[in-house]
Amino acid sequence: MQARKTRLGLAAAIVLTATFAPAADDDTRRAIATLQAVTKEGRGNEDAAPAWKTLVDQGIAALFPALEAFDEQNPTATNWLRTAVDAIAEKHRAAGHKLPAAALEEFVKNTRHAPSARRHAYELLVEQDATAKDRLLPSCLNDPSPDLRREAIAQKLERLERSARPSIQADLEKLFTYARDKDQVDAIAKKIEDHGGQVRISEHFGFVTHVWLIGPFDSTGGKGFAQAYPPEKARDTTGSFQGKNGPVAWAPFATTDKYGKFDLNELLGKHKDAVAYALAVIQTAKEQPCEIRVTSPTAIKIFLNGQKLLAHEEYHHGAAFDAYIGRGTLQPGENVVVLKVCQNNQTQSWAQAWFFQMRICDATGGPLPLEQKVMIDGRTKFVPLGFLAPQEKKK
Amino acid sequence: MIRLLLIAATVLTLSGLVFAESWPQFRGPNATGVSQDQNLPTEWSQTTGLTWKAALPGRGVSSPVVVGDRVFVTCSSGTRDDKLHVLCFDAHTGRQLWHRTLKATGSTVAHRKTCMAANTPVADATGVYALFACGDCAAFDNDGTLRWYRSLVGDYPGITNQVGMAASPVLIGDRLIVPMDNAGESFLAALDTKYGKNVWKVERPREINWVTPLVRTVGTTTEILLDGPTGLTAYDATTGQKRWSSQLTRGSIPTGVLDGQKLYMPIGGVTVFQLTATGVEEKPLLTAKEVRPGMPSPLLYRGKLFAANDNGIVMCADAKTGKTLYTERLKGAFSASPVAGDGKVYFLNETGICTVVDATAETFEILAVNELGEETLGTPAIAHSRLYIRTDKTLYAIGK
Repeated sequence: MQARKTRLGLAAAIVLTATFAPAADDDTRRAIATLQAVTKEGRGNEDAAPAWKTLVDQGIAALFPALEAFDEQNPTATNWLRTAVDAIAEKHRAAGHKLPAAALEEFVKNTRHAPSARRHAYELLVEQDATAKDRLLPSCLNDPSPDLRREAIAQKLERLERSARPSIQADLEKLFTYARDKDQVDAIAKKIEDHGGQVRISEHFGFVTHVWLIGPFDSTGGKGFAQAYPPEKARDTTGSFQGKNGPVAWAPFATTDKYGKFDLNELLGKHKDAVAYALAVIQTAKEQPCEIRVTSPTAIKIFLNGQKLLAHEEYHHGAAFDAYIGRGTLQPGENVVVLKVCQNNQTQSWAQAWFFQMRICDATGGPLPLEQKVMIDGRTKFVPLGFLAPQEKKK
Repeated sequence: MIRLLLIAATVLTLSGLVFAESWPQFRGPNATGVSQDQNLPTEWSQTTGLTWKAALPGRGVSSPVVVGDRVFVTCSSGTRDDKLHVLCFDAHTGRQLWHRTLKATGSTVAHRKTCMAANTPVADATGVYALFACGDCAAFDNDGTLRWYRSLVGDYPGITNQVGMAASPVLIGDRLIVPMDNAGESFLAALDTKYGKNVWKVERPREINWVTPLVRTVGTTTEILLDGPTGLTAYDATTGQKRWSSQLTRGSIPTGVLDGQKLYMPIGGVTVFQLTATGVEEKPLLTAKEVRPGMPSPLLYRGKLFAANDNGIVMCADAKTGKTLYTERLKGAFSASPVAGDGKVYFLNETGICTVVDATAETFEILAVNELGEETLGTPAIAHSRLYIRTDKTLYAIGK
């Protein structure tokens, strides 16, 4: 009986989807293509404005074609489309109609669509039918959409805490593997530990915990950010170079911090107007895209196998977690990640910090099956990202 | 010709003719925080003394803006503060006319007090122009039609300010003037209001700065005055060319007040400078040393200078002599700039407490203390003889 209901429900959803998400007509396709063609500095805006009106004038028939056209790689076009979806939905409701709930629900479930489109569809749906949360969120614990994932984890956590089950340890540990946002990771980790369990936060986040450092190089007047010192193109840790105060060479360091923090003031000495480089060797079995996420209060540049992924020049305005994200592709075998970390000459007490945290993860912020090269007792070997040596944990 | 049109637009704007019944930008029609409206409210609460109130979908440091029968407000929401909202309400009934959303394309990292809806939008008879702290900028027609959209961080990826940006755009005729001072790629730009394309864009110092541009007319030229940590610079609104600069002022948070050719700047208290056709007279006219604004901008009203700061202190001095009339400590800190009209000054603190002070008195005379019980960081707007206050949850139309 239950299976029959499910089949009937699915069939109804397909019919509804077909009703409300017909193949886009030519006007709709042309309008969407025009919005997708907008580029930098407003190029294409002249055509986009009438296209936006055309799209909205199609009414509810254009809702799903517009949502399907969301593209995380083209956020400008997606914002044009997002406002069109808002206008379409608003006009439909103003005319006394309900949004096609079943079709929206199917859209949310379909992870082939852009995460931001699914999230937007979810919000439209929940605004109309709050019970949709209970139907959708339980299957979003490992969702590509960070907001759906977060909300699903929050819901699950709340339910676990309210449950009368004698042990929720296993559920918490599973939930921990899904969590990506630091506050949720920390909260779940604490609950696991409160229940007598253990978690490996540094491995969960994929922190680089073993690096080779070199520095300081001169950055008087801030010139070091633009100046490409030899380590910038380094593929290994050989050689010695002229530093700010004399010759400098690579040296291995490990962090004992579960959040992967390397304090350069402690490791290299306190320097102002200075540049340091950190090098990590990352091993992977296959080619795979990755995000190299960095936390730092000062200017940084991220390089992967000699290619610059990101440059960001800002000093002492906070050190938000994962503030800087470089996107690249790891090659099979060994990959060299170089992080440039600059320090300026501000004298305020709060402007003395000089540190970094660096992690390598997938697009959701989740761990990848990667290993890092470490130097232990004078010998090199490969260990998982986030690995904290036992003796280091005791410190 | 363009220059003359800009001057005409500026004169009309500054005279308030275009925006009768309006509060179209940060600190109102003349960017002074002063309204000519009468019969402004004195007493209210969450449930009394209101024309209407409407729920908002997120926080905001931005002010509501009002043009004609419409109130526009921006908000931001979400764990990552990356959902940006532009809403339009009927000014008389509070009915939500439309609501559009954008997703932040720039960094949303900021000091926890602020948020992405920090810059006050600016509106004209045709619609509203919303700039967010993450560099997203959009123009909507009055009916909610998206006229254009720009991801300024997409265009200029070097923009960065992890404290959070808040300087507001201003309109000069058919140009939206966008201040984008930050720790990275800084600029001042004029975007055409029809398509949002750059008319001009000039480089600015790489310094974080929350000051909103002021506008004045000098002969046949409309000038944009933008203060910042490295000084005050005047730009030709037609071309963006720098006309002059002065090191006498070096503000970065509150915005000064332009009254004719007198410039009241929040430096060393409030210091009054005489503007000339080509700069600033070196010797200040006076300094009201004890009127020391914190984050809120100072207010010039009925011959008095008013200010509030983050320690809950409100100050008042005679604008002609600089002599302090009073300094009083009120409850809580202030982020919103004081506004005035109908002989009253409204000091709105960060927790929804608004102290209404008699602007005509030489001493500190409280007319009323009103509590909304919600976070209030944005400067109120005044129009239709009402006060429009946005909190982190609600938009209030206060008065009859």
